[in-house]
Amino acid sequence: MSASESLLIPSRSRGWRMGLGNLLSKELAGWWRTRRWWLQCLVALLLLNGGMALNMKGGGPENAGLNFLVTAGLFAPIAAISLASDAIFGERHSGTAAWVLSKPMRRQAFILSKVVAHGLGMLVTWVVLPGILAYLQLKPAMGNGLSAIGFMGALGLNYLNMLFYLTLAFMLATLFNGRGPVLGIGILVDFTGIMQFVALPVQKYVPWLNDIMPWKLTVDFGSSGPLAGYLAVGARLPTVLPVIATVAWCVLFVGVAIWRFRREEF
Amino acid sequence: MSATSIPVIETFGLTKTFKGVQALKPLDLKVSQNSICGFLGPNGAGKTTTIKLLLGLSRPTGGSARVFGKDIRHESDEIRRRIGYLSQDPRYYEYMSARETLRFTAKFFYDGPRAEIERRVAETLDLVGLTDKADRPIKGFSGGERQRLGIAQAQVNYPDLLILDEPAASLDPIGRRDVLEVLCRLRKYCTVFYSTHILDDVQRVSDTVVILNKGVLVAQGPIEELLAIGQGAAFTLTVKGDYAAAEARLRIQPWVTGMQVMSKNGRVSWQIRVSDPDLAEERLVPLALAGGEVTVCEFGRKAQNLEDVFLSIVEEDNHERE
Repeated sequence: MSASESLLIPSRSRGWRMGLGNLLSKELAGWWRTRRWWLQCLVALLLLNGGMALNMKGGGPENAGLNFLVTAGLFAPIAAISLASDAIFGERHSGTAAWVLSKPMRRQAFILSKVVAHGLGMLVTWVVLPGILAYLQLKPAMGNGLSAIGFMGALGLNYLNMLFYLTLAFMLATLFNGRGPVLGIGILVDFTGIMQFVALPVQKYVPWLNDIMPWKLTVDFGSSGPLAGYLAVGARLPTVLPVIATVAWCVLFVGVAIWRFRREEF
Repeated sequence: MSATSIPVIETFGLTKTFKGVQALKPLDLKVSQNSICGFLGPNGAGKTTTIKLLLGLSRPTGGSARVFGKDIRHESDEIRRRIGYLSQDPRYYEYMSARETLRFTAKFFYDGPRAEIERRVAETLDLVGLTDKADRPIKGFSGGERQRLGIAQAQVNYPDLLILDEPAASLDPIGRRDVLEVLCRLRKYCTVFYSTHILDDVQRVSDTVVILNKGVLVAQGPIEELLAIGQGAAFTLTVKGDYAAAEARLRIQPWVTGMQVMSKNGRVSWQIRVSDPDLAEERLVPLALAGGEVTVCEFGRKAQNLEDVFLSIVEEDNHERE
């Protein structure tokens, strides 16, 4: 039987959406139908909620809550960087990228499907589930001192922080041929907020960088606490510039990743 | 020019350079509709490079190419909608089963209906003999099974053009035969353009042949024509007796271009390459018998196969370059 005899409906999607739905389904299946999601969950819960449980015994709920946000702000990006670099390098080196690109689809769709699926996977495993558990851990001790909406806002900032590193890693993975620079640059940027030997020169020589990078979102940077901490206790944000800048960085990184991947030869 | 006479693949001075090395020198290639075209060449000849350019996986450095009359640079999406492709070393998502892989592939081409997609997937699995392994993860598949899956995914969309890069490379003789049968069956519906090192297969199923050497097209045409080029060039003459004088008589003939001698069981067999086959057919036996030293046991034209032609063309081309 030939195509003209069959009842199959040819795909109608055109432009950047060509192949996007199919690729997105595949990427989501890669998250939820494999052990990846529960492995990520397990690591996140042990690291973030386990750490917080220990902190609550030692330093009280407020301190433990703040530590939860800072730890999430530090370690969720590492998971994001590692997963994003694997997503690109794994496909490029195994040859599956070349196979998929020989089908009628756009390269934009290839990158976007990965960003969306990983963004969603990381949201559930590193933000929502540990966040709900953290709220349940903190609420009995903090009572009305912990606002549910504020805590959700804080988790939102944590997620935005993680998205920054996820998209950064996707961009770097399209620009470099090895995992080293992706992991190195990503982790260096992540740790800049907390490692004094990097953070202090930044504060001294390029202080404006603090306002346009995501560090302030989750890290106790300089004299002020993390922005996520303000939201967690229901206070107003002292500045929204890092939030806006981080969103802009994410968009820029995805744009560069798409631009670079469209020029890639297989 | 009518629609049916438009070549499926046509390249115009297509070139590709990698870091200063010209992998493909200006290539002018034509593949006509509903043909099975064998794409031959030694390793590194530029076959895979050409295929990748046609598929839009790589960008040409110079020249242009059209597939179905569409430009490979600007209309690649539309071209890929009508192509099925099997790469040299096919890789798939290991966690997927064969059925899921075919479903995933089919969904690039079809929006539905779901039942029809499933029917097509099942039909394709059956065609390549993977029905009983359809729901096992690919990571447990053998090389041959992966290759069959590769052929299945390449034609799940009823392609108008099937591009196969070494489709039978990792298959056993039975697998190879099955692949060739599939190719022959598909001839009715589509054009097949495939690269291979197995010249015997090409001779069995192909209509046309393209030979590439060091990035240069050295021969292109119907397989009969290529075989005919070499057909008159060699004869086999087997004699017994004291053959030295007879051999000397043959060697000095101006139309004898080369002789290979093989002795076995008191007989000697000459493979004689000649420039004038008609003259050779008439004169070789009388010349051998002229001195009365030998008796002729066997004589005939040596049946040329594609391997002989391929080797002769490639060696000649290499020689000219030196």
